[in-house]
Amino acid sequence: MNLALKDIRHNAVRFLLTVTGVAFLITASIGMVGLYRGIVSDALLIIEEVGADLWVVQGGRAGPFSESSAISAELDRRVEGVAGVASARRFVQVSQQFDHGGRQLRAALVGVDYPEDAGQWTHLIQGRPLASGHFEAIADEAVGLSLGDRIRLGQEDYTIVGLTRGMVDMSGDGLLLVSVNDALAIAQRRTSEEVLLARSAGGRAPAAPSGGSSVRQDSKIAAVLVTLDPAADPEAVRRTILRWGDANVLSKAEQAGLLLDQRLWRLRVQILAFTAVLLLVMTIVISLIIYMLTMEKVHEIALLKLMGARNTLIIGMIAQQSFLIGAAALGLGLVLAQGIFPHFPRKVAIDPGDIAMLGGAVALVCGFASLIGISRAMKVRAQEVLS
Amino acid sequence: MIAAPILTLRDAARHYPSGDTLVRALDGVSFNIYPGELVGILGPSGSGKSTLLLIAGLLEPPSAGEVHIRGKCVSHPGMDLDQMRHFRRNNIGFVFQKANLIPFLTAVENVALALHIDDVPARAARSYAAHLLASLDLAHRVDSIPSRLSGGEQQRVAVARALATDPGLILADEPTAALDSVRGRQVIGLFRQIADERKAGVLVVTHDPRTLDLFDRTIEMNDGRIVG
Repeated sequence: MNLALKDIRHNAVRFLLTVTGVAFLITASIGMVGLYRGIVSDALLIIEEVGADLWVVQGGRAGPFSESSAISAELDRRVEGVAGVASARRFVQVSQQFDHGGRQLRAALVGVDYPEDAGQWTHLIQGRPLASGHFEAIADEAVGLSLGDRIRLGQEDYTIVGLTRGMVDMSGDGLLLVSVNDALAIAQRRTSEEVLLARSAGGRAPAAPSGGSSVRQDSKIAAVLVTLDPAADPEAVRRTILRWGDANVLSKAEQAGLLLDQRLWRLRVQILAFTAVLLLVMTIVISLIIYMLTMEKVHEIALLKLMGARNTLIIGMIAQQSFLIGAAALGLGLVLAQGIFPHFPRKVAIDPGDIAMLGGAVALVCGFASLIGISRAMKVRAQEVLS
Repeated sequence: MIAAPILTLRDAARHYPSGDTLVRALDGVSFNIYPGELVGILGPSGSGKSTLLLIAGLLEPPSAGEVHIRGKCVSHPGMDLDQMRHFRRNNIGFVFQKANLIPFLTAVENVALALHIDDVPARAARSYAAHLLASLDLAHRVDSIPSRLSGGEQQRVAVARALATDPGLILADEPTAALDSVRGRQVIGLFRQIADERKAGVLVVTHDPRTLDLFDRTIEMNDGRIVG
């Protein structure tokens, strides 16, 4: 005879409300961890997908994601000449806001080195990669565009030839891929007033100050993506490029490390702190529920003791109820998370490993809550039946 | 030949301090209950009846004296009675003023619980519990939860539960207090039947003078002592 199940069946509505309350806390925990996983996944997306072994960036800087980076648009030619380099592609990424059909849209404008890179590495769900060096774009569906749409960027119109899914930058803006030359043209768009001012200066100074850089500011890219020969020694390639002095070299792992351990470090700690607070709240709530359930059954527990029941029967009843609440809430919380989070504006990645860890945490919380209930139950005396 | 007593109290006392005074809730009480005997404990409130039941039921140890059940000393001053749960389970059945049924179990489950605690397999426990309820005219109520039973029916389920492990001693604390005279007499009649048929010793604390004719004898208490 399972007393825990019979009590739950008798008080099904109370049990369901309790489970629902705890499930929402678990859903919130899944959301916090999932949001962090989503941000990490988005941040690492380009690094993982673009297929570069090394990133050549501005000397002394750790760009282009952790810091800004500006290098000469011709640096790729120098890099191509290094022994062990199979290919070098120019790369630029800037945030872009533009008007389309009366709506203000945001995108992370990514310039890829067409024709070496036509955006085949993107997750296309409709359309095709770039087939021209100009006026074509691949957009993520998060930007809010459709295949065939024409958008005005800078001074030109661009046609959306491909649509991707799940390709966003770390701030959640959908990627908009164009050729690197188009990206530079869009990024360097000047107002008529700026052009007039530049002309009046007689070409003596650029419209934008160079800040003493050796590289012309209107022809800068963010990085050169290097693909190595299979037999190449990455360290040798790195040493060669570092000797130039005006460039820094980062591996894929270093880029990922910079993002996770520096750029996103505070966010990681903050989300983990929020998750810890949620787990603490969950511990208090479940403990309180189990304690109240035990208090409600003091008379029945006294009766069981009077009838000669072993402590294991009473402990089993309390612990089973606690773990049933936890297990049911975890299941419902997971279902809610899978139903709700896909509709959130940012990616919430539900990782099986995280769910397993959360399950472990819920088990610990339920175990702790059980101990509180059991310790109260053990203090009940059989003669309390008579009170 | 006279049967050995099922319950013996020898100079049982229960004292506890209250401020500067010592309250003598039970003060040197001795008596025997024999198998098949229905004994009533009478007395005004505060006379020690309930304390007597706690000590006889191994729920409180006496401050002095001894409790013997089936000739064995089972309680004496300072004894940890939590260790006596197993003995209590197999030897003593309790019935209270309130039925004290577990609200989330049906009538048959309430009775079977006593057997489940005694490690009787579930099917056999349920079958015997249903048989006991049928013998108390509750066959039609086996699957009802306590809130759907009348007061009298609840009390009969409590009696069935007390009988489930076939104890030699039944202790009842004012079992008819919450019932009308007809149903109260029915319950005491049930104890009479149990004493006669099962040869159990039944000790009933009662205030109800209308059922005294059903008892073999009564013990009257006052100020913690037997006075008649």
